[in-house]
Amino acid sequence: MTVDSHSGVSAVGTDGGAVGERWARVDARAKVRGELRYAADEALRSCLDVVVTRSTRPHAVIESIDATRATQVDGVVDVVTGAELHAILGDAIFTGPAFADQPCLAVGKVRYVGEPVAAVIARGHAAARAGAEEVAVDYRELEPIHDVDAAVLGAPFVHDELRPSVVFGDLAHLHGIRDTNVNYEYVLRHGEPAAPPPGSTTVQHEFWCPPTHHVPIELPFTAAWRDGERLEILSTTQTPSYVRQSVADLLGIPLGKVRVRSAPLGGSFGAKMYDRLEPLAAALAWTRRTAVRIAVTREEAFLLTTRHGAAVTGSMTADADGTIVAADADVRYDTGAYADVGPRITAKSGMVASGPYKIAQAHVRSRCVYTNKPSAGPFRGFGVPQVTWSHESLVDELARVRGEDPAAFRRRNLLREGDVSVVGTPMHSADFVGCLDAVTAALDWDSPIERPTGRYRRGRGVAVGIKAVLTPTISNAVLQLNQDASATLLISTVDMGQGSDTIMAQIAAESLCLPEGSVRVVTADTDVTPYDTITAGSRSTYHSGNAVRKAADAMRDKLIDIAAARFGVPATDVKLTGDGLVSTQTQETASIPELLHGHFGARGTTLTSEAEFRTQWQPYDKQTGRSPQVTEHWFAGAAAAQLTVDTMTGRVHVEHLAIAGDVGRAINPALVEQQLTGAAVMGLGHALFDQMVFDEGQIVNGTLLDYQLPSIHDVPDKITPIVVENPHRTGPYGAKGVGETTIIPLAPAIANAVRDAVGIRFTRLPLTSERILDALSEEDS
Amino acid sequence: MTPIDLTVNGERRTVPVGDDDLLLDVLRELGHTSVREGCGVGACGACTVLADGHSVSSCLARAVRYDGVAITTADGLPTDDDVVEEFVAARAMQCGYCIPGFVLMGHELLAENPDATAAEIDAHLEGNICRCGTYLEIRTALQNVVARRRHDDMARRRHDDMAKESA
Amino acid sequence: MTATLHRPRDLGAALDLLADAGDPMVYGGGTAVQILLKQGVLFASDLVDIAGVPGLADLAATPGGLRAGTMVTLRRMETDPLVQDRAPLLAQVYGRVANPRVRNTASVGGNIAHGDYRLDPPTALLVLDARIELSSSAGPRHVPIREFFTGFQETAVRRGEMVTAIDVPTQPLGGAAFTKLSSLAANDWPAASAAVLVTASATGGREVRIGLGALAPTPVYVAVPVPADASADDAVDAALAAAEPLIDPLPDVRGGVAHKRRLGRVAVADATRAAWADTPRDTPREEVPDDRRLTLRRLRRRH
Ligand SMILES: Cc1cc2nc3c(=O)[nH]c(=O)nc-3n(C[C@H](O)[C@H](O)[C@H](O)COP(=O)(O)OP(=O)(O)OC[C@H]3O[C@@H](n4cnc5c(N)ncnc54)[C@H](O)[C@@H]3O)c2cc1C
Ligand code: FES
Ligand code: FES
Repeated sequence: MTVDSHSGVSAVGTDGGAVGERWARVDARAKVRGELRYAADEALRSCLDVVVTRSTRPHAVIESIDATRATQVDGVVDVVTGAELHAILGDAIFTGPAFADQPCLAVGKVRYVGEPVAAVIARGHAAARAGAEEVAVDYRELEPIHDVDAAVLGAPFVHDELRPSVVFGDLAHLHGIRDTNVNYEYVLRHGEPAAPPPGSTTVQHEFWCPPTHHVPIELPFTAAWRDGERLEILSTTQTPSYVRQSVADLLGIPLGKVRVRSAPLGGSFGAKMYDRLEPLAAALAWTRRTAVRIAVTREEAFLLTTRHGAAVTGSMTADADGTIVAADADVRYDTGAYADVGPRITAKSGMVASGPYKIAQAHVRSRCVYTNKPSAGPFRGFGVPQVTWSHESLVDELARVRGEDPAAFRRRNLLREGDVSVVGTPMHSADFVGCLDAVTAALDWDSPIERPTGRYRRGRGVAVGIKAVLTPTISNAVLQLNQDASATLLISTVDMGQGSDTIMAQIAAESLCLPEGSVRVVTADTDVTPYDTITAGSRSTYHSGNAVRKAADAMRDKLIDIAAARFGVPATDVKLTGDGLVSTQTQETASIPELLHGHFGARGTTLTSEAEFRTQWQPYDKQTGRSPQVTEHWFAGAAAAQLTVDTMTGRVHVEHLAIAGDVGRAINPALVEQQLTGAAVMGLGHALFDQMVFDEGQIVNGTLLDYQLPSIHDVPDKITPIVVENPHRTGPYGAKGVGETTIIPLAPAIANAVRDAVGIRFTRLPLTSERILDALSEEDS
Repeated sequence: MTPIDLTVNGERRTVPVGDDDLLLDVLRELGHTSVREGCGVGACGACTVLADGHSVSSCLARAVRYDGVAITTADGLPTDDDVVEEFVAARAMQCGYCIPGFVLMGHELLAENPDATAAEIDAHLEGNICRCGTYLEIRTALQNVVARRRHDDMARRRHDDMAKESA
Repeated sequence: MTATLHRPRDLGAALDLLADAGDPMVYGGGTAVQILLKQGVLFASDLVDIAGVPGLADLAATPGGLRAGTMVTLRRMETDPLVQDRAPLLAQVYGRVANPRVRNTASVGGNIAHGDYRLDPPTALLVLDARIELSSSAGPRHVPIREFFTGFQETAVRRGEMVTAIDVPTQPLGGAAFTKLSSLAANDWPAASAAVLVTASATGGREVRIGLGALAPTPVYVAVPVPADASADDAVDAALAAAEPLIDPLPDVRGGVAHKRRLGRVAVADATRAAWADTPRDTPREEVPDDRRLTLRRLRRRH
């Protein structure tokens, strides 16, 4: 483990014995034995099953829907169409975080193959499925648009007019705009455009990242039922607080009448957030006054959300001295038929499209574009891997064209502590150089590798990545200290494998000097746990962590006050230790059980504290896209790979992959290493084969027989995860998040190594054996 | 509905099942929620159970076929199960959803091949997907089971030898 | 709408069902049938589950080799000492199918009857010259595996018939190898596969037998004579020249025609080279008693 702390910020008071420790996951044994209960494992009241009939057309007007045969299927209770729900709920049926554009059942028109058209409610899943197959839909076809670059140019239009939601106020000016597929555009202008100086080198390429799917192994599941005038939902969601508001808006009922419960998630990576199955389940349960359950198959899950495909036209210029002087990027995100959070992705990724470099002049145009495909939404990395694919390929090529070592070239140009990025916000606790040095050192970068000239060619490559944390956001925490010196933590952070329950327990335990296993984290339930913006974008350790830390500190202060009164000394003379409270003056001690018993005069009591944590930003300037505080903090990461290419089969074999992330401070180094490694394995899939293939809007590989995920055979021979620590001045104990850090630079690191091995620059992902062999044979001829 | 004689984790019961019912659904109905659907096509391993010791994708298995067969699910393993212990010790889990499947595949492999090498472990696990990317920890856990059983075996033999000598 | 499941207890009853039902289908291991059902592309009226038919899961030695009943699992073919000794190439290839769970369930008969052009086992069955036993209420008949795959997803199994067994001759002495190339994730179905067996031919030279998977609308077979003193490169060239005309790939997400053709060549070349290298210079062409072969082969495998 590399600990590199030249930021001058010291880690604040960590003597509670919890932070920095490799505590086991709180649910480790339950997970291994399969006893942890995920959403679909919960015993529920009896629910009717819902299966939807899906559009077979990419773009069409629904002329009519005939459900007669479906209702005759044994067990079918009801068939509901979008038109019927629209008649009851009005335009509230259109939901979405950025644009209120997506109906839970198509209203009037379908916009992608697989869009839900009618919902069949039945006793039992088999009956619902059989019913869904019997719904007959009559379509009038419209011309579809599949290609993002064609969609940028004009008709046909996926939506007649733009419908910004109320969630993001800054999109209001887009209301009602017609005749466009571009639903959002972010522009960054930094520095004055100038002619390239004499002796400079420019590289330019067209890049492409295909759409991909998250494929968390747990399938999405939502159940909803009406409890009198309240609606209750149990769902696989990373965003219970968002879903609560979204469903309240949809049904036109007060927030307090909606209860949303989540559960531990069997992975998500962005797939289970915002509006997925919840609006449909809520609408059916509410309007039909019943209890419903929606469990989708893997094939259906592919249709729920995807990662944005993205085209990037990028260029980069270095002057004669090897200083990067200019960078341009034109980015087109394919957001599919519904915007979801695409506009946010477009802006947040546009900001970093020129990479973590000091550049005098940068210009970025980043657009979010509708097409007739399943909607694209958040995915681990939030659009940043797509632009990193461009800037890290360009930087690499620039170095190679200049005849310079790609690591040294980057090193010279990377942003350092205090440097202001092209977007106008300074760097802090984002040690790009440290990450780069760590991964190259792990690969012994400066010693030459053996380079066979036959069938197998060896190469090395490196890449760095930068991402801004989602800002502004809000987290809350309520902490209950039990009389037996255990604690119960109420937060709405959802543990989906990143280990947040363990990390939050460690943060809470730290201030209170509690031992491993003494803090229980309550699963998100909007009736019980307080508001939290989302569990996503690697924000929880920092945001929820800060709320938890504040709540724990407040609890410690309460205990100290109570003890001070008990000991008859000033609070400043009381210390909390692992054994309880002690007066430094009188040496009098009291354990927490003694103290609480004395305080309340009863058994079984609890003491409560709470805290909120909010981050602020300054919105970026509409003209320049810049802001002195566009984000609360930055993520920095790097990856380096050594691999061989089989020039006969085109297969890439990764021998050693080193990955590093500056996490500020590792609350639990074991969990950090696992996140770094896990994200890298996923990133490796994206580099080599993981992609969704469409033909005329139809998914071609939408089953796990065809969709390609890394298996144990695809894992590199060796993976070295490296934790870099530059404590963040306002992070809890200096910590920041880590879930996305190493997926960001992964694909370019692989491609740069392939470039090193065979001399070919690849600009389109993934680097399948076919692409590699095609390029090699082109080279030959 | 046909009544079948199902022994799950050593507990024998008669369960009425339909001809089309999948073993996956029947076991979940019985409360064995460690058996999960991840793909429904035999490709991910989340639904793995052992049938008379052999791994099976319960998503592709009709329950009527398992009349009289002894089924093992991860939740039914003994509390001191060595494979479970080594998974916990090696931190071989992230979201945990795939893990019971890997545990059972490991059991099958090591019962057949107690000396499994890393390559043999990989070959046996090739059809189990961990999207969280926990493969290295999983491999380590199983290597540790191999070592532990070897060690226990030797200790037992030494103990037996000593017992013989002193007799 | 859903097919009726029958679970006959003897072969006669099973064959009667196949003869009489409207649109019957044999249910073997069910790994392929279940997926087709799920995908809504299976339209059988009746499923005839043959798991309860006695004798169909027998695996036994025969004078010239071995005989596997249709319900023997792929995994048993992979691990049973009998198969490992008499047809090690076959055991190896069965061990490369899908994953252990599918192999524990899938049956040898269902595997070939599935008729998918990408299947691995046919490549080895082809080079070993296996014979398929098909039975109907009219009695059994035998079809050489080399005539079994008749077209894209079509086999020699006629209406009213089912596979009851596969007879595999003992693997001739000589080198053998199997190469399976996937073009995407490593555990994927093959984009090209080749089983190659080098044997002593009747003319005193050697014969290179090649079975190909995933490279044409059906599994395909070709053999080419090569002098015993040929170099490995010559053997590879001869194998490629022989295999090339058979390679006629179908494009899909795993690659276009040109890519699969390239991979096909690599599979043939790699498998041939390995099999050639593994063929002892003095491979006798005369028949040798079975027990001597076993010792030889066992000795070699240990290296
Ligand atoms: C995830 C996954 C990955 C796979 N990967 C590979 C791979 O890499 N390589 C490979 O070779 N295969 C692969 N397969 C395919 C696998 O080999 C087949 O599914 C399996 O062999 C089919 O055998 P079964 O006994 O289950 O057939 P079933 O599903 O029972 O039947 C398949 C077909 O054969 C017919 N049939 C069955 N038995 C008989 C009989 N006795 N007589 C006549 N007709 C019969 C059925 O009617 C049906 O049409 C994969 C399968 C899965 C699920
Ligand atoms: S659900 Fe059965 S193998 Fe994936
Ligand atoms: S631990 Fe999440 S899928 Fe394996």
